[in-house]
Amino acid sequence: MKLRLPSTERILRVACVLALVALPLMVWSLFDPTVWPVLLALSVGQGLGTLSFALFLVAIARDLHVKRKLQSARPPADSAP
Amino acid sequence: MTAGHDLGAMGWVSVASAAAAAVILLVHLLRRREVTAATRVWLLLGLGVLPIVTAGTANIEGFEATQSRKFCGSCHVMTPHAEDSGDPKSVSLAAVHARNEYFGQNNCYTCHKDYGMYGYVLTKAGGMRHVYLYLTEYRNMPLAESKPSIRILAPLPNASCMHCHTTTAPHWLAVPDHASALDAVKSGEMSCASAGCHGFAHPMTKLGKELELDGGPRP
Repeated sequence: MKLRLPSTERILRVACVLALVALPLMVWSLFDPTVWPVLLALSVGQGLGTLSFALFLVAIARDLHVKRKLQSARPPADSAP
Repeated sequence: MTAGHDLGAMGWVSVASAAAAAVILLVHLLRRREVTAATRVWLLLGLGVLPIVTAGTANIEGFEATQSRKFCGSCHVMTPHAEDSGDPKSVSLAAVHARNEYFGQNNCYTCHKDYGMYGYVLTKAGGMRHVYLYLTEYRNMPLAESKPSIRILAPLPNASCMHCHTTTAPHWLAVPDHASALDAVKSGEMSCASAGCHGFAHPMTKLGKELELDGGPRP
């Protein structure tokens, strides 16, 4: 069974939401430098932030892949009638 | 949020980049536009560059925060230690050292850290063990129970004291007890922070059976 990725727009929206959760977690530890905020920032915050960036890269890679496929499928200019 | 915590320059960079990233992401989510080349560049900033700046600066600030007394005292079982060493009237070894500028707000870390090339990493790895033990054993333990039962894993090595207090200076050796105990101090057989020498580092260090073995509380 072939795994189908969601649309680029959807991937990017999920990445945005994840980053919007990660950013306050990272910043919270600056205002309250105690055990739990710092641990959350360094683990959950970093993890979600990395995941959101990875999703962005997946979206970009997929767009590039699709673009390349379209270019290779296009007939060469000299073969046109 | 803790009132009165001053953000350093690094902290402000972190907050500013997080705010800028959040604005870009919210605009993208709310406008629901087609993904164009310009959108990708903006999202590269909002999902990549700016969060990386936020994470990097927040990491540096976070790791620095883990060296502070406030951080160490944020687990309730450590509050008596932190409060004592921050008390200007206390004469405990920890408090006396905390009043020294070199130790200051980072006095827990300065004494308890591992010295050496990988000292920082080893100390932080040991700290993760503390977090694990706190979560699994001490989280709900009342102070009355934790004070006499929580013990340092291994005795504080004299090398930590000798990092500042040289054992070779003439005025140090001029103290008769120092001169006679030099070998025992260097080998770790005798602790600088023991009842017969400079006293325990924290007033609640020995409240259990050790106190009886030591012959009762020190004045």
